Amino acid sequence: MKNEPLANITGTLLITAFLLVTLAFAVQGAFETRTEIAHTFSRQAQIQQAQIELEELLRLQIDEENSLRGYSLTRDPFYVAQYHQAAAGYDAKESVIRGILHDQQLSGAGVLLGAYSALQSRWRAEVARPLLRHPRARLVELDKRNKLFSDYETRTVADVRAALASIEARLVASTQLQLNRSAYVRAFWVLVFGMLALLFNMYRSRLNRELEQERTITEILQRAFRSESVPLPHCEVGSAYLSATRQVAVGGDVFDVYRLSGNRALILIADISGKGVDAAVLTAFIKFMVRAIALRHSEPASILAEFNEAFSKAVGNPYLFVSMFVGILDTATFTLEYGSAGHDCAWLRRRNGVEQLSVTGPVVGVMEEPFYSKTIELNPGDTLVLTTDGLTEVRNRDGKPLLSAGATELIEGAGAHAQELADDLVEAARARGGARLRDDLAILAIRIMDTERVYA
Amino acid sequence: MRKAVSLLLVAVWAATPVAAWADCKEHRGDKVVLYSTTDDPSVLIWDSRARLRSYYGASFDEAQAMLPHSILVAPGTRATVISCVADYIESPIFQRPEDAVGVTISSGPQRGVTRWVLGSDIRLMPDHH
Repeated sequence: MKNEPLANITGTLLITAFLLVTLAFAVQGAFETRTEIAHTFSRQAQIQQAQIELEELLRLQIDEENSLRGYSLTRDPFYVAQYHQAAAGYDAKESVIRGILHDQQLSGAGVLLGAYSALQSRWRAEVARPLLRHPRARLVELDKRNKLFSDYETRTVADVRAALASIEARLVASTQLQLNRSAYVRAFWVLVFGMLALLFNMYRSRLNRELEQERTITEILQRAFRSESVPLPHCEVGSAYLSATRQVAVGGDVFDVYRLSGNRALILIADISGKGVDAAVLTAFIKFMVRAIALRHSEPASILAEFNEAFSKAVGNPYLFVSMFVGILDTATFTLEYGSAGHDCAWLRRRNGVEQLSVTGPVVGVMEEPFYSKTIELNPGDTLVLTTDGLTEVRNRDGKPLLSAGATELIEGAGAHAQELADDLVEAARARGGARLRDDLAILAIRIMDTERVYA
Repeated sequence: MRKAVSLLLVAVWAATPVAAWADCKEHRGDKVVLYSTTDDPSVLIWDSRARLRSYYGASFDEAQAMLPHSILVAPGTRATVISCVADYIESPIFQRPEDAVGVTISSGPQRGVTRWVLGSDIRLMPDHH
């Protein structure tokens, strides 16, 4: 049972980690695909550039031939200049294409381009130069050779063009494949994410259900464990409770005001060593056990003695002890008979000052020494103030505890009415100790009403 | 000599299957103009259709060796179709097989000469029909 929260946290962390890892894979995959496609597009752009350059190369080759033909017909030197310009352009363009093919590692197209350029070189050597040297030479044979070169160059260029087109087609197919694969992979990840999200949601819903159940149980338990007070005739009852455990409203302190009969009321405040839920479980035991004993015994000393015996047997933990104050208040006579088992946080505020009530026995659960009772008479306006050591032990920023003397001063200056007094003490404890208390704090204040109101 | 070649061609026509003519774009007696590609419009005409076919399948050096069997005619040279063999010439550079067309040159220095020419190197004269 104790390991369930740990298992829940581990499960949540695992699923979250898996989601994050999956997300990382998906993002990495998307970037890889993007890089691949970008690379393919870049290659495709280069191939298209090579195709454009190739057409330009073919145009320059035709310019060379036409310039030569123009020169052989007119013998105008203008055509020679045109020829040389076209030849230089051809060589430069051929070099550019060769560079692209080399960069793209297109050796097949490179070989074809080499064959084309070799033909052009032969044409220059076997047709162009002889004609430039001997413009009056008989043209027929040269023309035929020119035609032959032209045919073969056209053929070779067609081969280069086809090779580039084939490569481009392959790249287009590759791009398509990558896009398809990317779509499939994306669909896969969407599916995985969807399923994980569903799982996560189901898991979270289950956790929420469990938490809701736990919360319901906790609320039920808190109702059982909560300190209670009932209105008493001719008395004001004020109370406050602060738990050092933030998540729960219960702790190791408990108070109880319980009417035993018409005029008799049980007044209890107890502080269990320890705090939190484990201590709170004992408070319920103490509250109901003391009530049960008080119904049979009228003296606080007897109640404490019997409770001491029952507590030791029932709890069976030698390290657990309880300081407690048990009082029986007669609301007709305003007589308070009390027994204090090591509980020194009890004060009586009268008109002329605050008196700390003495301890009448050891704490419960430690030894089997006798407990004693004391009786005090209360007057209208008197206030019985019971707290736990959460008040006297509250420390300021310097680590200095309030102690009994500090508490006495606080009680002296606190509000006149019972609830005002309890609230003032809580405020003072909070102000001194900061937002978080180190120990639970219970406060119970019972004020005898003023004479006029009592007898009205 | 020219007469002998002409007679020879006539004999070849007789041997040509009728189906081959049927698939040709050109018909006997069509008046045509010789014109090759825009890049190099001059046209090589050949003394035999076999040589014409070989030229488009040969390597550069082989084709160069065959050149003496050809005549280069200027673009725009007129001719009359006297024979045709459909889809006779195959080459990787053609989308589909080309016709081998027998023509008699009717203009220019080669007037009266009968030779074979690639189907795509001839254009029907616009006013022919």
